[in-house]
Amino acid sequence: MTVTAELSRDGKQLTISVKGRFDFAKHLEFRKSYERKDGKMPKSVVVDLKDATYLDSSALGMLLLLRDHSGGDRSDIRVVNSSSDVRKILAISNFDKLFDIS
Amino acid sequence: MADIHLDPDVLSALREVMEDEYPDLLETFLRDSEERLSDLRKAKDASRFMNAAHSFKGSSSNMGAVRLAKLCHELEQCAKERKMADIEKLLEKIDSEFAIIRPLYEAERQRSLSG
Amino acid sequence: MQSLEPLTILIAEDCAADRMLLSHIVRRQGHEVLTAAHGADAVDTFRQQRPHLVLMDAMMPVMDGFEAARQIKLLAGETLVPIIFLTSLSESEALARCLEAGGDDFLAKPYNPVILAAKIKAMDRLRRLQATVLQQRDLIARHHEYLLNEQRVAKAVFDKVAHSGCLSAPNIRYLQSPYALFNGDLLLAAFNPAGDMHVLLGDFTGHGLPAAVGAMPLAEVFYGMTAKGYGLPETLREMNAKLKRILPVDMFCCATLLCLSFQRRSVEVWNGGMPDGYLHAIATGERKPLTSRHLPLGVLSPQTFDDRTEVFPMAVGDRVFLLSDGVIDTCDGDEQLFGVERLRQVFVANRQPDTLLEEIEQALRDFGGDARDDVSMVEVSLLEAAQLSPPALVYSDSGQSCPLDWSASFEFRAATLKRFNPLPYLLQLLLEVHGLRAQSGALYSVLSELYSNALEHGVLGLDSSLKRDASGFARYYLQRNERLDALQDGYVRVHLQVTPEGKGGCLTVRVEDSGKGFDVARALERPLDGVRLSGRGVSLVRQLGRNASWSDEGRSARVEFFWEALA
Repeated sequence: MTVTAELSRDGKQLTISVKGRFDFAKHLEFRKSYERKDGKMPKSVVVDLKDATYLDSSALGMLLLLRDHSGGDRSDIRVVNSSSDVRKILAISNFDKLFDIS
Repeated sequence: MADIHLDPDVLSALREVMEDEYPDLLETFLRDSEERLSDLRKAKDASRFMNAAHSFKGSSSNMGAVRLAKLCHELEQCAKERKMADIEKLLEKIDSEFAIIRPLYEAERQRSLSG
Repeated sequence: MQSLEPLTILIAEDCAADRMLLSHIVRRQGHEVLTAAHGADAVDTFRQQRPHLVLMDAMMPVMDGFEAARQIKLLAGETLVPIIFLTSLSESEALARCLEAGGDDFLAKPYNPVILAAKIKAMDRLRRLQATVLQQRDLIARHHEYLLNEQRVAKAVFDKVAHSGCLSAPNIRYLQSPYALFNGDLLLAAFNPAGDMHVLLGDFTGHGLPAAVGAMPLAEVFYGMTAKGYGLPETLREMNAKLKRILPVDMFCCATLLCLSFQRRSVEVWNGGMPDGYLHAIATGERKPLTSRHLPLGVLSPQTFDDRTEVFPMAVGDRVFLLSDGVIDTCDGDEQLFGVERLRQVFVANRQPDTLLEEIEQALRDFGGDARDDVSMVEVSLLEAAQLSPPALVYSDSGQSCPLDWSASFEFRAATLKRFNPLPYLLQLLLEVHGLRAQSGALYSVLSELYSNALEHGVLGLDSSLKRDASGFARYYLQRNERLDALQDGYVRVHLQVTPEGKGGCLTVRVEDSGKGFDVARALERPLDGVRLSGRGVSLVRQLGRNASWSDEGRSARVEFFWEALA
């Protein structure tokens, strides 16, 4: 049950992978995965939910925090590999209007 | 190979632990043992034999009286198995064993008082 | 070897020599020693002196060690008093007896002081662990009490904010736990001046006070704006802007908002993030899902917020059913969800619409899930307008300085028509005239009707006959939004004139639009009490106001309101 972050070689894309339950318990880990000491954010962020089994409203809140940190309306965040359950949750809250979801 | 009567290692451990009260301990044990022997002689039924033998076994093993402890253990088993005939024989052996070790303890006590 | 705090240790041993030896060993290790020669003695000494730990000989006269251990454990209660049995029992059966009797460990004879010290240390660690657990449990229980009290206070404050709602109206039925608020569930209902009912079912992120605290500003906006006559879009915009401003980035409120109009026989819906609601048409039995089409409130900036609503026709007796996700997410023992399918089954099996809520409750119980505090359900029916009586508005001024003889004219042009609803302002203005206050409902209804006719049929050129069936209804509102977005020219003018008449007064309202007009004669020919979905506007104006008339080929409407002298 961890959150791992990997920066691309050219430093332009950050990939955050969430394993297990994506809920309030992951709050701190998730934030740490993208907050850098120099305050700079890579141009684009990919959130990989391939191994995420469950998503609740606090996870939605965490995605909003990430978006806010990455420039709000100017951010480029993709949520990839979501299972059908996770997709359903994201669809009800219409988060596909804010994030590129696949 | 016959068991020893008194284990010197146990005695020295006791002496180390008890320090000044070592002689008191020896005396208390001897007094206690008289009582237990009389309990054993007075016992009539199997369970009384068992309990008395069990207790005596405990204290004698604590005090390093190896052979005595073993005899008590045998007595305990006999009582459990109701071999009343063997009990008589064992009681005699216990008496004689105690007769042997008693002066040994007393000598030990004397030694510790003067040393 | 003295690495622990000194303990008080009770030594229960019938053999004097053994007792002496053991006492000495234990004292040497820095502890205080109590002794007992048999079981009953041990229990008494324990009761009086409460030692930390007990060394108990298994075989003792009067009361044996096992029985004494049982009694001591009983006396100790929740506190852990470790009991170490002293035994030369070697058979495993005997050892089992030690543990069964409540013993925590045993020490074999002959006594080994090193082993004894190690066991005492280990037992002491356990003893202190248990003490810590009990202490923390008590601390948690106390904090829990504080929390519950805080919630009670917060709830009392909130109930004052929410009191002006109309959840007790005859057409609303609902089920909600009293503390649902602290799971973020919010249920609000209020009448607007025209007698339309606004209902909000919301679900804030989070739990406890953080979830409840956002509800208060939201409720104030909802009640304030509804009472003033604002429509759903404006109210939504304000609620979204407020939450966006005051809540942290990761907090938001999923919500479904309804505006049920008994006059217009329609329901306007906005769903942002809530599970599907259902519009139940009694005649056909069909349950149309009202799906979430928007992001929750408090996420988007005011510039990007989407306030577009959907409108559906409703017949008398039709119901709208809303639920929070606590219903769907109720889990049984195997972590299976109740789910939408089971809910649909309850719908299908339902024969009496009035018992739907109870049937769903029963289904949840039968499902075997734990009762949750965030299960909220509400059902709103469309009744005849006459069956409902919205409460009268309360005014705080004295009436000495009220305007009795004046007129005002407004012209709202394209850019304003797109984004601004003038009705609340016009109403507020008119309610300065005390004589009109008793008719505020009728006033608002007539003004709304005239304004929306002028805007939709006049300026936007929409055909009211589209609204004759359900799919036409949807097309109508779609066209309305499209044409309004594209509007470049056009106007709606509103003229208000208040003049004294005898002891009372008269208000004349004229509304003009820049549209093509309509066939007035034909509209007036229709009987006054039509049940059709379209064309009710003219009837309404004629019924609620006096001397309604249309001129300029229908582009200009005029109606009057009178009042007598006030007592």
